[in-house]
Amino acid sequence: MSQHLIVLFVVLPMLAGILSLFAHGRRTLQAFIGLVFLLANCGVAIWALITVCQGHGADAGILVSQMGNWPAPFGITIVVDPLSALMLGVESVVCLAVFIYCISQLSDRFGGGFFQPLYHLLMMGVQWSFITGDLFNLFVAFEIMLMASYAMFVVGTTPQQIRQAYKYVILNLIGSTLFVTCAGLIYGQLGTLNMADITRIAVSGQLPVSSIPVIAMLLLVFGGKTAIFPLWYWLPDTYHTMPAAVGGLFAGLLTKVGAYVMIRVFVMMFGSSQEVSSIVAPLIIVSAIVTMFLGVLGAVSMHSVRRILSIHIISQVGYMLMGIGLGIAAVSGLTPTQTLISREMAVAGAIFFILHNMVVKCCLFLCGGLMIDHAGSDDLEKIGGLLKRAPWLAALFMIAALSLAGLPPLSGFFGKWVLVKESFNQQQYSLTGFAVATSLLTLLSMLKIWSYGFWSPPQGKHVEHPEVRPATAGGLFSVALLVVFALSMGFGAQAYMNVSRYAAQRVLDPRPYIAAVLGEQHSPPHLPAENTVVAAAKLNPLASNGEVRR
Amino acid sequence: MTLLTAIMVGVIFASSVYLMLGRELKGVCMGVFLLGHGANLAIIATSRSPIGLQPPVLGGHSWQGLVDPLPQALILTAIVIGFAVQAFLLTLLVVSWRRAKTLELNELAVEPAH
Repeated sequence: MSQHLIVLFVVLPMLAGILSLFAHGRRTLQAFIGLVFLLANCGVAIWALITVCQGHGADAGILVSQMGNWPAPFGITIVVDPLSALMLGVESVVCLAVFIYCISQLSDRFGGGFFQPLYHLLMMGVQWSFITGDLFNLFVAFEIMLMASYAMFVVGTTPQQIRQAYKYVILNLIGSTLFVTCAGLIYGQLGTLNMADITRIAVSGQLPVSSIPVIAMLLLVFGGKTAIFPLWYWLPDTYHTMPAAVGGLFAGLLTKVGAYVMIRVFVMMFGSSQEVSSIVAPLIIVSAIVTMFLGVLGAVSMHSVRRILSIHIISQVGYMLMGIGLGIAAVSGLTPTQTLISREMAVAGAIFFILHNMVVKCCLFLCGGLMIDHAGSDDLEKIGGLLKRAPWLAALFMIAALSLAGLPPLSGFFGKWVLVKESFNQQQYSLTGFAVATSLLTLLSMLKIWSYGFWSPPQGKHVEHPEVRPATAGGLFSVALLVVFALSMGFGAQAYMNVSRYAAQRVLDPRPYIAAVLGEQHSPPHLPAENTVVAAAKLNPLASNGEVRR
Repeated sequence: MTLLTAIMVGVIFASSVYLMLGRELKGVCMGVFLLGHGANLAIIATSRSPIGLQPPVLGGHSWQGLVDPLPQALILTAIVIGFAVQAFLLTLLVVSWRRAKTLELNELAVEPAH
């Protein structure tokens, strides 16, 4: 019964959006409504995560709710499996932190008016795409998320920035149109849009050959949203025009939704189909190498805080792709059991990396925002000496930056360690090399912000910029919240990795998912031989899960 | 019937790509709208040839001779979403016209490079 509560992930942000729309013009009331609903949302997310991790029996920790009680392939299904639950858990905390930052730090030009209703609607789209169990609903969720993001993008823009807005809006619209076409064609080929039903068809090897080009085309759609090579060109040009807080929200959520959907579609739905994987996996791996390396080279060459951080998003996406690619690529030189464990670890690494990146990337953007507010500029040539003027900010930035670069014992290290190790095990040595090189260059570009912005003496004479707003307590608190979260992911990495691995198991062996959504009788009796060993590698996700999130 | 629809989808996609490659924002936006229509037509074509079938409305006849209603439901949703997006893009056009007094992409002020 309680599993129907997962609908709250859509209902709560929608209600918050509508209510704060009515409170238009009264910023304090809006902020109060927002905080109440965001806290409630965090509560539901933690409940879902705990419930999912405890489920071991027949339901196998998958919460399903059929809208209007229509049976599965015909109605709309929403599903929370361990992967969705993890994403929701971290996303809800990140959203809360960014919201606190926005209400305390943003000027009325950006944060007033319709900003807060849009914020909640964006969140609704993001959470809906995490819980939907239906390809067409995913499109609708994407549209809601993007529509809110278009509007947030143009709030308070200067005439110059309107030009960038067109780039963002039109490229995303083309992507969405391609997505809806693909969804229609997949329905034409397979006769269903329900993710579990499509997975069932793929697992039992009944995928018609003619559907494979359409499925491969989905890579183009999600690749565009995730900003992978060669579809990333829109991102560095657009993200830096937004206020840093909005940039942080977009950086923390939007590209990660793309990465999540790529795991869901290419690993869970079509991972068991050799025909699809043999086309998609090499593309993903090559793209991962180019994405992570070109992205970080771009970051090293930039000279503005927001530009460095935005182009960094791309390079980090490369690591997620790396895990996804290793999770479905053909492996040579390993026994079937080793292959399975290696794939499982690679996908777990990708999931862990997405979670880590949501928190840390967002945190860095918020730090960047505070730096800009302190100095009145985000050009590294013009700011400096922030270490003395804002020591707390400097400390928080340093922790977040080192997490991103992946220094042990901070969170970035563990994600990268698992990914690099698995790429080595699978003999993808070029991937290993580029991943390590990218990591070094990441550290370099982060130190660049550190030494120019914080450490160097103020450059030239310090001009009091009209837009200088010292960091408020709320702004610092939200950054500190994210830093503490990132630290907990570093020091509690074992717990997070266990849950990620549990999620990866559920994704690589989708039988419990199919059974939970479609009912037991539809569950395919057996998987292709190589997938059956998963059961042997079961581990207890509850071993250290109790303390995961207090 | 399906062949005819396929050709139409191809022509619509081609014209919308042509429009979107222009440097004039009105044309680009029209191209995006047209692309949406092409997609809708492609989806409706997946319900196979409707010749000899009944409209998907129950009442009087059995469900066996009906056209597959799901693609129609899909494009209904897609059309509604398309409306919202078109309204947004048109508003954006008006705003940028008021601010910059031009809709040529080359003339819209470019941000100074860092």
